[in-house]
Amino acid sequence: MDYKLVMNTAVLAGEMMLRSGAETYRVEDTMYHILRTAQTETVEASVMMTGIVATISNPDMEPITVIKRVQERGTNLNRIMKVNDISRKYCAGELTLKAAYEELKNIGGKQYRVWVYNLATILVPTGFAPLFGGGILETAAAAAVGCVLALVVTLGKRLQINGFILDTLSSLGIAAAAILLKWVFPSLDEDIVIISAIMPMVPGVAITNAVRDTLQGDYISGGARILEAFLKAAAVALGVGAGMALAGLIHPGGGIL
Amino acid sequence: MKLIFGVVGSFVAVAGFAVLLETPRRYLLHAGIAGAIGGFVYLFSVQRGVDVVLSSFLSALAIALTSHTFARIFKAPVTIFLIAGILPTVPGAGMYRIVYYIIANDSAKSSYYLTQTLEIAGVIALAIFIMDTLFKVRIKKVEKQ
Repeated sequence: MDYKLVMNTAVLAGEMMLRSGAETYRVEDTMYHILRTAQTETVEASVMMTGIVATISNPDMEPITVIKRVQERGTNLNRIMKVNDISRKYCAGELTLKAAYEELKNIGGKQYRVWVYNLATILVPTGFAPLFGGGILETAAAAAVGCVLALVVTLGKRLQINGFILDTLSSLGIAAAAILLKWVFPSLDEDIVIISAIMPMVPGVAITNAVRDTLQGDYISGGARILEAFLKAAAVALGVGAGMALAGLIHPGGGIL
Repeated sequence: MKLIFGVVGSFVAVAGFAVLLETPRRYLLHAGIAGAIGGFVYLFSVQRGVDVVLSSFLSALAIALTSHTFARIFKAPVTIFLIAGILPTVPGAGMYRIVYYIIANDSAKSSYYLTQTLEIAGVIALAIFIMDTLFKVRIKKVEKQ
């Protein structure tokens, strides 16, 4: 049994899942299952939001311990599903260790074209406007503001602006665009438009996952996720506030701040 | 009328969000359907005068049930349908309002939304937890037979 390769496979799988936004206990579970196939006496995998520690050891060998720091975190359900699939096949004996490692390495990132992402960025606000009680006018405005959002996000990604600033800039654009539309159509409820448009960035899933992790007993991950969620919310709120203030400067009485 | 509009909206929103979350192409529609069911339950209960927190709980229960059913039928992890589907219920706007009112120096509103957001996030997590447990129980029974 190549213990080293088992360890590398498990850590790679864990890292990919963690980077793709899987829950902590799910990452630990997957790593544990892979490590168990080495049939050593001690198997431990400890996953926190920002890193992984795993160790296997037998009485007759030096323990193998790996620490892996995980920097970036996003959500990629496709990757989680593929890692899950490979680890299940490997644990069931349908894949050799080497093949599993190679397949894990070959999992790609994006699966849609840029215009599909942009279309989705426009569709999300459009769909949320009626859910928040908006009428036809608000829905159309949300779609228009969604176009602004898609534009800012695409530009920001191309310029490789960091996440916090990009969220702030996008919500600034949203707020400014919504208030501009309000001047053109005075009956527009700009609050609904802004809230619908920031939905792609707002950390609703993050706060729910934070509570889930905490209920599961992963207090470190739960706390870290709560912090992350509030930071993201702060970025968005800061952007919206700045956008309103900016619009208010141009046209007094437009913003709250 | 408003209900239908809202349900269609949540379907569109969740399907769009599923793309942003990199949901595999063949499950986009299913995620959208899970979201539409959640949106329907939420809007229906809110319109009947049920409290927002309780409506979120009921809606999350419905979404978790749908996601687990879809996961069994289409042989995919539950998360695929759950994360996108839960979106109409999840307190994203609440998170934004907390910080927004802190910046706007309105502490009464910010603490109101803080409590509400934590309650909603809590009941959603609880609903997911309940469904997970129920489905585990069911599977174990089937295995014993």
